[in-house]
Amino acid sequence: MHTQDKQEALWKFGSYIFLLVVTALVLIPLYWMLVAATIPQSEFFSWPPQLIPGTYFLENFAALQENVDFVRSIGNSIFIAVTYTILSLILCSMAGFAFAKYEFRFKEPLFYFILATLVLPIQLLIIPLFLLMVQIGWTNSYLAVILPWAANPLGIFLMRQNMKAIPDSLLESARMDGATEFQLYYKIALPTMLPSLAALAIILFLNQWQAFLYPLVILQDPQMFTIPLALADLVGQQRVAFDQIMVGTSLAVLPIFIVFLTLQQYFIKGILSGSVKQ
Amino acid sequence: MAKIDITNLRKTFGDDGEQIVAVDDFNLNIRDGEFLVFVGPSGCGKTTTLRCIAGLEDVTSGTIEFNGTDVTDKRARERDVAMVFQNYALYPHMTVRKNIGFPLRLSTKQTSEEIDSRVQNVTELLGIEDLLEKKPKELSGGQQQRVALGRAIIRDPEVFLMDEPLSNLDAKLRSTMRTELQELQQELGVTTAYVTHDQTEAMAMGDRIVVLNGGVLQQVGTASEVYRSPTNEFVAGFIGSPSINLFTAVVDGNTLTGPGGFSYTLEDESLVAGRDHVRVGIRPEDLTLSESGSLPCEVTVVEQMGNENFLYGKMDDIDITARIESEIRPSEGSVVEFGFAEEDLYLFDAETTEALKTKTGETDIDYDQYTQTKSVS
Amino acid sequence: MVLTAIQSTLRSSTTYQQLSDRVRYARQDLSGAVPSIPGLPYLYISPFFILFGIFLMFPAAYTFYLSFFDYVGVSNNILLSIQMGPVVISIPEIANLEFVGLNHYERLIFRDSLFHRSLFNTSFIFLVQVPTMVILGLATALVLDAKFIRAKGLFRTLIALPVATGLVAYSTIFLLLFNGEVGLVNYVLEQVGVGAIPWLGDGFWARITLVIAVTWRWLGYNMIILLAGLQTIPEPLYEAAEIDGANRWQKFRYVTLPQLRPVLLFVIVSSTIGTFQIFAEPYVITGGGPSNATITIVQYIYNQAFLQLNLGYASAVSVILVVLVSIMSIIQIRYGSEE
Repeated sequence: MHTQDKQEALWKFGSYIFLLVVTALVLIPLYWMLVAATIPQSEFFSWPPQLIPGTYFLENFAALQENVDFVRSIGNSIFIAVTYTILSLILCSMAGFAFAKYEFRFKEPLFYFILATLVLPIQLLIIPLFLLMVQIGWTNSYLAVILPWAANPLGIFLMRQNMKAIPDSLLESARMDGATEFQLYYKIALPTMLPSLAALAIILFLNQWQAFLYPLVILQDPQMFTIPLALADLVGQQRVAFDQIMVGTSLAVLPIFIVFLTLQQYFIKGILSGSVKQ
Repeated sequence: MAKIDITNLRKTFGDDGEQIVAVDDFNLNIRDGEFLVFVGPSGCGKTTTLRCIAGLEDVTSGTIEFNGTDVTDKRARERDVAMVFQNYALYPHMTVRKNIGFPLRLSTKQTSEEIDSRVQNVTELLGIEDLLEKKPKELSGGQQQRVALGRAIIRDPEVFLMDEPLSNLDAKLRSTMRTELQELQQELGVTTAYVTHDQTEAMAMGDRIVVLNGGVLQQVGTASEVYRSPTNEFVAGFIGSPSINLFTAVVDGNTLTGPGGFSYTLEDESLVAGRDHVRVGIRPEDLTLSESGSLPCEVTVVEQMGNENFLYGKMDDIDITARIESEIRPSEGSVVEFGFAEEDLYLFDAETTEALKTKTGETDIDYDQYTQTKSVS
Repeated sequence: MVLTAIQSTLRSSTTYQQLSDRVRYARQDLSGAVPSIPGLPYLYISPFFILFGIFLMFPAAYTFYLSFFDYVGVSNNILLSIQMGPVVISIPEIANLEFVGLNHYERLIFRDSLFHRSLFNTSFIFLVQVPTMVILGLATALVLDAKFIRAKGLFRTLIALPVATGLVAYSTIFLLLFNGEVGLVNYVLEQVGVGAIPWLGDGFWARITLVIAVTWRWLGYNMIILLAGLQTIPEPLYEAAEIDGANRWQKFRYVTLPQLRPVLLFVIVSSTIGTFQIFAEPYVITGGGPSNATITIVQYIYNQAFLQLNLGYASAVSVILVVLVSIMSIIQIRYGSEE
């Protein structure tokens, strides 16, 4: 009995140690990013490395902005991600609503077809998309980045699954209350779907916020760079110092962290709805 | 308020390959201000009929008229009908105030102050004025039910339609709401079509009852009519609790001989003239224990209800139920004999199941004399 | 997500639902009850399908087509011209191409050593990274699922934080962390006496760096999924096993693992697909080097297509990548859904 208690205590202790180590390993890179972004460049190359955050964030940011127009990149990223998210939400929720709540010819084949395209990796699409954008003269345009994945197969799948849960009687009730067919969509279906819409919005926004390969191909003008492109460009230019890159990285990461911490339940719902929910 | 005329209604589901007939050859006149209850087993077409009246379902053929105006091709929102659904169908993202006000905001040009005061009136009528700012998920089943009613009432519609509105409530609340609904309907005087699978509810609530089976109208009548004078074996079996005892008997002159030693001599031979077989029905409440009755029965179980006992037994392989006095408890396995009065006897055609004879005795009292006659015009 | 999506859709289309579906079909056939808007569902889905057709279906098909051609240049040829009264709509050819048949595939499979190199690098990352991360993620999820752990929410939030970190952004952090001169990692290793490691200067260590980086980014993501899976395992199963005399390991082996199998399968398959498409990390952290020791398949596609403009050849690589990933997924699903 006594040894069992001891074993149990040891197991618990070991579990906590493991958890603390994992947590520390996860946090250290982020912490170091903050340190590097907030200390002056001179201290950066000191040995041993600086381990405590400084107060030079704004100075470093000014230096970064002198090298590249990072503010513009932030603006580009926000504009592209927000527009993309709204557009995709509209397209996916409308189509998802039709697939969940109406019957029409070719409904099943169409839906299975969309499902099948979930497996297509984006690498398969990039070369023709590039040629297409070159041909219609859309390179270096916001539209070229926003449009292609707005018709998102995962989005329509999630919307359909969730909207199936809306009771038919709710829509019929609204019909009897005098709602037009379109009001059923935006006055009844959309408001009841807010949590699912939020979860999908987060997935879509995050995907676009960190999209790299496709924007890299389409956007060559630095004026059009999104944050990931600007960061990669900085890394490419060897002359730019790490502390400036870390300022840019912090600016890319910290706003999302704040959103993550406040809307965590939707983040997790989003992650799970893409995987094990069914 | 409206009277509703349904003529030759037919509704089928499915495409060309395989059709399911939900309602067929259905004719019905619902009177202005009437509380009409549709009853029948599940799949009998009662909900489909209601949805056709609502305009939620297109009809395959036939016409539906409100006050003489053909509304068959009109959509739900153009018919001025309100419906209460089994699961209440409250909009989860709206407060009680918004839920109840929703039809007015959609269908009228009233200002929000006018709508608000209407909502206030309706919630006071239903006793839910304290819940106005709550969301549906914060409400109990009974409260949700009232909100759903409020949303139906507020539009002052021509017709109320109710699809099993009480079946999600627990037994006690159900009987309270039953009374409340009836009082409300009488107060508002709106023509109401009500669907239920529960014949007790139908009997208790309806001015008239519509019995449906297999998509076909069986009988329309008051509670007393469908109970005392069912048009066929199905209605006799469906109405009344516990159910009527039914079996086949051989006709020999004026004598009926049935399974397990059943034997009864008719006073009026003309009822079965020219027949070999006939279906016999006797309600459990009409059976009386007697020393030399015509219906022998081997007792299997006696259930005590307090004020009376339900006796379940077998006559050969036919199940027999009888309501007997609470003091009498025959032991299991014993054989008892029942008698009955001929005026309580039901006879049905063995093939068509049409009624040949129903209850003929006068009711004890003329109940209309004692009840306040409701004006049903 | 793909698998579960397809599975659930298949499951819901069993014969027992067919009849009720047919009734629903009729019930919701609004074209009858709502005669004024007959084509409404098509109105709802058409915006989606227009974009879907132009930007997904067409490119996917065109990649296959392109893989049998050499890209010569931009084309000015008019492919199709539609005359509608005074308006002429002309659809130009998308590119000037030269048919080469199966040449690209032949060269890729038998002669292109750099492609083989990228295949090796990607497989190396896959073989080391996926098992490491699945085991680590499972261990973390198991510990977090234990009843005695306090502050579960806090731990879960902190470990999941990298989920909110962009791919390029986190890559820059790792570029700095593993920097030979100023990197924190080598500093710590020197302090504890292990000595500096040429993380980005040596082929093997550069690949390990990528493995560590990818694991850091996706550990929390997979942990959340596995934890959700663990929480769906009914408690009575564990209680029954305990009454039957199972110890901690046996409970894990005979209750947790079989119950978690579909979730674990999803994690493995999606991680596999993910590692075979890895691009941002080698692009930023190693640049594919040193001397192509970390160049991945997608990076090779990018280089071929957009640095050397061998668009047809790069398309052939894309096709091979898709085939490869599909085969891997099918093998894993087959193997994983046995028993």
